[in-house]
Amino acid sequence: MILFFLTSGLFLGWSLGANDASNVFGSAVGSKMVTFRKAAIIASVFVILGAVIQGAGASHTLGKLGAVNAIGGSFTLALAAAISVYVMTKFSLPVSTTQAIVGAIIGWNIFTGNPTDGKILSKIVMTWITGPILGALFAILLFILVNRFKRAAGIHLIRFESYVRTGLIIVGAFGSYSLGANNIANVMGVFAPAFRLNDLDLGLFTINSNQQLFLLGGLAIAVGILTYSKKVMDTIGGNIVELTSEAAMVVVLAQSLVLFIFSSSALSDFFIRLGLPPIPMVPVSSSQVVVGCVIGIGLYKGVRNINFKLLTEIGVGWISTPVMSGLLAFFTLFFMKNIFNIDVGHKITESGSTVNQIVASGTEMSEIMKFLLLGICIAGAILLVYYYLLERKKAREFRKSEEKFWKNLK
Amino acid sequence: MALFTRTTKNLILKIDEFFDNIELGLLIFREGIKSYVAGDMESFHRHLAKVDSLESSADKLQREIENDMITNSILPQHRVEVSQLIEELDEIIDAIKSTLYEFEIEIPEIPQEIHHDIISVAEASASAAEELIPAARAFFKMPHTVREKLLKVYYFESETDKVAYNTKKKIFHEMNKIDLPHKAHLRYIIHHIENISDLAQKAADLLAGMAIKIVM
Repeated sequence: MILFFLTSGLFLGWSLGANDASNVFGSAVGSKMVTFRKAAIIASVFVILGAVIQGAGASHTLGKLGAVNAIGGSFTLALAAAISVYVMTKFSLPVSTTQAIVGAIIGWNIFTGNPTDGKILSKIVMTWITGPILGALFAILLFILVNRFKRAAGIHLIRFESYVRTGLIIVGAFGSYSLGANNIANVMGVFAPAFRLNDLDLGLFTINSNQQLFLLGGLAIAVGILTYSKKVMDTIGGNIVELTSEAAMVVVLAQSLVLFIFSSSALSDFFIRLGLPPIPMVPVSSSQVVVGCVIGIGLYKGVRNINFKLLTEIGVGWISTPVMSGLLAFFTLFFMKNIFNIDVGHKITESGSTVNQIVASGTEMSEIMKFLLLGICIAGAILLVYYYLLERKKAREFRKSEEKFWKNLK
Repeated sequence: MALFTRTTKNLILKIDEFFDNIELGLLIFREGIKSYVAGDMESFHRHLAKVDSLESSADKLQREIENDMITNSILPQHRVEVSQLIEELDEIIDAIKSTLYEFEIEIPEIPQEIHHDIISVAEASASAAEELIPAARAFFKMPHTVREKLLKVYYFESETDKVAYNTKKKIFHEMNKIDLPHKAHLRYIIHHIENISDLAQKAADLLAGMAIKIVM
């Protein structure tokens, strides 16, 4: 039953993977510097790591916007958000999962009669504005730095490209980690208050309830990346503005930095220690940030290069996503409660405690998680060996055909 | 990663070697023409054999460079242009080889009066192509300097045209002792020598476009 309720979250995770992974590796794949297969594998691994290790911060903020106190409600919200994201992805628009889930939470607040915390909402919406601006600024600065270095160093173009390719893989891995850390809140954040699992002791470390939830979400994101992100990656990579390889690297790095900033508790604590205001731990829209980065580069290179038609389409998607998701959540909650008689949540009392909170738990689930982890490790190892052997076979066949060609020519 | 670094290094070496082949081919072409005009056929044949071997080596390198770029996905955004540049440069060494072979097969009789002119056409034409090589090398290291380096290519191409025009005019207007088929044969030979600078100009146009794209 727990797994059934989680399906909508997993579907949302899949949508996020299909759509938002393109923000991390889209420019690299679009500029043909990294193959889709390589990008998808790296992104999948690091998204899961980011979600499990550092996913708690942003999830906490989302919980404050609307602490969904029934698993039926969590299920419905995730479903509404997932459908919204899926529809936008179908049209190849880099839509924001953050906006979809925020819209859905507001829909839940309205339906259950809970007030929406204006401060939290404005904090989240502010990042929708500051995220892309910060992304654009980082992108311009990094682009200038990389270009100056390239010119001053006089490195051979082929060597430079090999450095950029390595850089793209490293910053792509960092970006995927940040995406997992920041955006797992969108996927599993709504389930966290209504979900309790036993801690999973793996000998070297222990995975708590939220981390198990995030692991499942991370896996769903990974499946989304592997199965459906290629189409959106092509949109990001080549359509807004044609990117050079170094620009692609700068976009990924700038975007990763922005996502990391908004999900790193350690960095926020460091700011507080310096006497500066803390950085809000908010799930940032990676789609908006990456578009900001790409526009930053476009502006630096000259406005003529930007595809404004596509930007307008993306902008329309940004407004329509939360509205669509909110309305969908509201009406789905209505049907769930009144037709299927499922508890979708209650008004939170003034003291802050929840009424009739349904907590999902179970030792069976922990056992499933254990086997799931083992299965992932084995499948990963098999895939790695298979991939290596396949590449070796291809190289050998190519070498043979070349030798034959020159032999025949003689 | 180590494997990839080695591939990169090998590819850079292959491209450099390819450029070296073209440069050497041009030097030998000059010497070959001088030998032929001077009547030193032994030296001419030695130069011809050397050019033949350089052309084969360039063909092999061209294929290896293209293969390396495709199989290792190197320079994905510039791959087509780089391959095209290599192709254009290869055409230059092909033209050098075919021109020298024409001398060997057709054994054109070069009158004493135009010995100097024929050598001048060959010098100017080879210079145009020679000036292309530093520009092509610069594309990979300092693309912002490519355009200024290409100026010399255009200068020598236009010089070749002038010298070739004057030589042809001299053949048809002043040299009444030789018959028309001989004159036509000489015109044909000059046209082939001239062709090297035309090919250099074509490659220079491509390189100029590539440099703009990479600098912008």
